[in-house]
Amino acid sequence: MAASPANRRPSFVSSVLRIFDLSLSEMLWSRRSVFLALLVGGPILLAVVSRVVWMFGPNESLRINGGAVSGASIFGLMIWLLYVRFIVPILGVFYGTSLIADEVEDRTITYLFTRPIQRGAVLVGKYLAYLACTVLLILPSVMVVFFLMVPVGGGSIAQMFPSLLADLGMLAAGLAAYGAVFAWVGARVKRPLVAGLVFVLGWEPAVLLFPGYLKRATVAYYLQGLVPHAMPQDSTMSLLLQTFADMPGILPSLVALVVLTAGALWFAARTVASREYVLEQ
Amino acid sequence: MTTKTRYFVVGSMLTLAIGLGVGLVAYSVGFSTSAFTREGGPAELQFVPANASLIAYADVHDVMASNLRQKVRSAFPLKEDGQHEFQNQTGINIETDIDHVLVAIVPTGEETGRMPGSPIVLARGQFDQVKIEALMREHGAQVEDYKGARLVVGDATDGKPSLSLAFLEPGLVAVGSHALICGAVDLKSGGSSIAANDEMMGLIRDLESGHAWAAGRFDALTSRANLPDGVVQQIPGITLFSASANIDSGIRGTFRAESRDEASATSLRDVVRGFLALARMQTSARPELASMLESLQLGGTGKTVALSFDLPPAMLDALVSLGQHRQGTLAPQQ
Repeated sequence: MAASPANRRPSFVSSVLRIFDLSLSEMLWSRRSVFLALLVGGPILLAVVSRVVWMFGPNESLRINGGAVSGASIFGLMIWLLYVRFIVPILGVFYGTSLIADEVEDRTITYLFTRPIQRGAVLVGKYLAYLACTVLLILPSVMVVFFLMVPVGGGSIAQMFPSLLADLGMLAAGLAAYGAVFAWVGARVKRPLVAGLVFVLGWEPAVLLFPGYLKRATVAYYLQGLVPHAMPQDSTMSLLLQTFADMPGILPSLVALVVLTAGALWFAARTVASREYVLEQ
Repeated sequence: MTTKTRYFVVGSMLTLAIGLGVGLVAYSVGFSTSAFTREGGPAELQFVPANASLIAYADVHDVMASNLRQKVRSAFPLKEDGQHEFQNQTGINIETDIDHVLVAIVPTGEETGRMPGSPIVLARGQFDQVKIEALMREHGAQVEDYKGARLVVGDATDGKPSLSLAFLEPGLVAVGSHALICGAVDLKSGGSSIAANDEMMGLIRDLESGHAWAAGRFDALTSRANLPDGVVQQIPGITLFSASANIDSGIRGTFRAESRDEASATSLRDVVRGFLALARMQTSARPELASMLESLQLGGTGKTVALSFDLPPAMLDALVSLGQHRQGTLAPQQ
């Protein structure tokens, strides 16, 4: 006897879309959004201040280390120091690790797992909601910063536009990769936030400083291969990074990030599907 | 999805779409925001042939009036005989009469010496046309008419091509070979000037509004530089270059190189980065040089490599006093 429509189990894709729809609003209007707004608003505020200083300050008023710099250079610097090295990894850690961990902590995961949907679809749907939430906030923020900063000092928007496209693609790829990796960490580890912060703030910067193959066990290594701007010379650490620079090409970086994202997401979905989550009373 | 979320998604996507649309339009029509602030280079460019390989500009008035020039002048008082002699011969006082000067190198096949072509100089300022013409005629020059313009054609000496001069507009004098000056007169009534050369104009438009700048094809720069083969092979495929400097109490400048492809640009950045790291190690014990190196900023995206520098007034003071000290120690020996 055929199953009635009411009893039929929804497909994986429709389950993912349902969870995505449910999670996007939850993610956007949560307490964590204040943190996200601060992260996204910081660069915009900085760009506005720089623009105002340039407009009303003396000629060549924007300087770094005493040297006059153009708006395009400052934009490149902001992409490196604010977005690539800080905002993208930190967002990946905070949101990625919380996809499942929050449900466990709030003891609401039972409600999701008792629905007639595959467990893996819960994680993938939440991951897509994370990606939509962060991409829809970070990319417009980069766009606003670009239009505020690049014309400073006579920079050309037309000339810089291809690098903006590369920046947007690179940041989206970074958010996807970090999110997938930390979704897996969140599904697997008991204290995922600590593990994530140690990885992003400890392991990655340390390993990138030294020559050798260890840096290939980071996301930052492949992400830096996609950044179209020259690496800033802001500190001794940057100098060391440049000295031992072993940047992968664009294609190997892209392939590595796609494999990393797909692999981490698959492992995360498998972990969620097979693991028994014991809720603390 | 709640209404609030829907508004957020639509707003965010609209921001992205508008930004991408504006950027795409700017990219496809080559629109530069700098067009709002200045025109595409000085007006004298209309007299420069389209095939010029090098163009340099200097705001003589501002440079002469700068604090830096006054400082150097008081530190190293030079004999002004040469300047006076030039003034007596041409009636031009370099300090007060010339506002700005534009020099272009044009490959005409008449290359002499180490120049990668024939130069044409376009100077704007206040000139005594009658005195200049009279002085040149005293030195054997002849006046001829070319399409309604008075050309003062100098005497050819020692096999060198003759130097010609013409006043293209009130306050604008052009000096160069006879062919180039005739070409400049032709361009006055229209024609293909450097303004129609998108490659060069792209470079010139992107130059910061410096007191002095230069832009051109890199091969024109290296072809007559007699660089050793080893050095030439080590320079990653640079096609175009530009440099600009702002001179006031200090000097701030930027050098930009456009390479053949992104891989060449990355190689060039690596080479420069290596030199900078080496220089930083070498000067770590000399704070006056270390601070200068700190001001060097390597940048650029895609096929562009940019290196900016800044010599602040304090550093120039130190260099001037170092020069004075050296002069002081050399004088007794002389």
